Amino acid sequence: MEAVVPKLASFNLLNPKSKSKSAIRRFSSALCVSSSPSVTSTDSVSLGHITRPDFPILHQEVYGSKKLVYLDNAATSQKPIAVLKALQNYYEAYNSNVHRGIHFLSAKATDEYELARKKVAAFINASDSGEIVFTKNATEAINLVAYSWGLSNLKSGDEVILTVAEHHSAIVPWQLVAQKTGANLKFLNLNDDESPDLDKLKEMLSRKTKLVVIHHISNMLASILPIEEIVHWSHDVGAKVLVDACQSVPHMVVDVQGLDADFLVASSHKMCGPTGIGFLFGKSDLLSAMPPFLGGGEMISDVFLDHSTFADPPSRFEAGTPAIGEAIGLGAAIDYLSTIGMQKIHAYEMELAKYLYENLLSIPNIRIYGPKPSEHVQRAALCSFNVENIHPTDIATLLDQQYGVAIRSGHHCAQPLHRYLGVNASARASLHFYNTKEDVDEFIHALNETVSFFNVFK
Amino acid sequence: MSLKLSSTLNTSRRSFSPPLFFSNVKRTPISNIRIPRNRSVKSFTCVHERNPEPIATTSTKLQLLVSEFDSLTEPIDRVKRLLDYAAVLPGLDESGRVQAKKVAGCATQVWLEVVMDERGRMRFRADSDSEISKGFCSCLIMVLDGAEPEEVLGFKTEDLTEMNVGVGVSHVGIKAGASRVNTWQNVLLAMQKRTRCLVMKREGKVFAGCNCFN
Repeated sequence: MEAVVPKLASFNLLNPKSKSKSAIRRFSSALCVSSSPSVTSTDSVSLGHITRPDFPILHQEVYGSKKLVYLDNAATSQKPIAVLKALQNYYEAYNSNVHRGIHFLSAKATDEYELARKKVAAFINASDSGEIVFTKNATEAINLVAYSWGLSNLKSGDEVILTVAEHHSAIVPWQLVAQKTGANLKFLNLNDDESPDLDKLKEMLSRKTKLVVIHHISNMLASILPIEEIVHWSHDVGAKVLVDACQSVPHMVVDVQGLDADFLVASSHKMCGPTGIGFLFGKSDLLSAMPPFLGGGEMISDVFLDHSTFADPPSRFEAGTPAIGEAIGLGAAIDYLSTIGMQKIHAYEMELAKYLYENLLSIPNIRIYGPKPSEHVQRAALCSFNVENIHPTDIATLLDQQYGVAIRSGHHCAQPLHRYLGVNASARASLHFYNTKEDVDEFIHALNETVSFFNVFK
Repeated sequence: MSLKLSSTLNTSRRSFSPPLFFSNVKRTPISNIRIPRNRSVKSFTCVHERNPEPIATTSTKLQLLVSEFDSLTEPIDRVKRLLDYAAVLPGLDESGRVQAKKVAGCATQVWLEVVMDERGRMRFRADSDSEISKGFCSCLIMVLDGAEPEEVLGFKTEDLTEMNVGVGVSHVGIKAGASRVNTWQNVLLAMQKRTRCLVMKREGKVFAGCNCFN
């Protein structure tokens, strides 16, 4: 079956004059991108305003009377109606186990599941959908690489380079595998601009380096790394690169062929898709040489009492009944994002990122982590920060309870980074394309009042 | 779209009236309270010795606390009250803010000191880098300081949810549950674990998982 799959599309939106909710919903839930009408968004109506009606969860009051201002997107994103409908439709119309059955429902479920895989492949410009392994999330995907590729390719004396800014999911699996194999983990520090020190990375890379594990966008620093160059340097010494793209795939164009990444991971729930599904991209030759991770049904070819033979990738790494509905939901999320266009999303979020950063600077005694934005240095649309003498959890508590503003406070699954920066915790506001400048205004206003409140009480 | 950014927050200087719990009482840090000699007491509360108040039980103290917070409907007022409680908590000095006394599982840093006094009652001191967490600790200590070990061990987190304060608790009083940021629960559990440890130590037994530091 020929699949209509949007390829890194950048389409214009509906005529903003006809902003009726039903019109936008119909448009958003269209699977076939090429049939959508093309319009131009005006300056007065931002992408955030246009897309907000698609997200029912954003239109509520918390604690009885406070309008929700959701700024915790780096933790998880919200889901458009198109994704909710895709999930419901799956369970209502054709839920069935995949790959094995021969009846109508099973065939349809299998087709849609494999179509979702093709959509993921096209979304990140993988050359073949067989290079996409569905997992529970990015964490499981990293563990897959660690236990499958890592255990069979790392030996005593080999080096794996990570940065101090990596998410726990990118660090802990390698600690476990390093213990088993005798490989050494080396951590790249930050430079004076609070971004991973890439000059130092070039010095650290050597023939001993077998793998570089690195984020594309930091969930705390908001730094955006030149992955293409990092991959180039790494390949020069014979090292592979595993890219943690959790914070980049949802927000910008990611092209695995352009980057020449060996492995890349992302989670559906951060890109407007459901929880419970994520994916590993791995180059075909790498996946083909990797032993199984989890054993069970689906990933086998023949099973005997004393041994089994295994399927080719990606099935080899997808043991058991997969999260079928969730994969299809991820496919619907990709359709939705592609309909808007990742370039458009990225451009809008860069505007928001600048607006957020500049307005946050106006808060007295604030310290924002990560690189300063400039002509050459872009930041993602998130800011982790601390205000002198006020615990970030106290700030987040009052923002939530008094103002309905949802931000995060804690270590953001980056304890080593916090330790490196000399803090126990930080607050973080993180945006997505359905946020608006008004959301930022409300956040800044609430933050100003919160800071004043705590300063007075002290 | 116009945005009304009117202030919803009264940032006037804090109220100097002590928390209800201390009404008619001069603020006395817990560490400075003298236990009257030649008096048998089951528990004690922070009372000024010139105005002896009836000794309150743990249950009474909890009820007072609950009714106090119940009367505060706005989150900001509950936070202000918590900050008032934080202000009367003596805290710990540097030697007390150590890893061994840290309470696990809190989103903020909380240190807790638990001792059993010569009468076999539990005494608590706590500190935090967060003012709201200090307030929580202060409330817990108000209720449980000086209580019998059995009272401490019998105290349930459900007793606290009625107070309707803090992260993860909504206006309808839904239990905060197992969220990592539930300071109430984590501090109370630490109080109970360390109390259990001291009780067993007193009885010459070893409690698995006990790492008594006192």
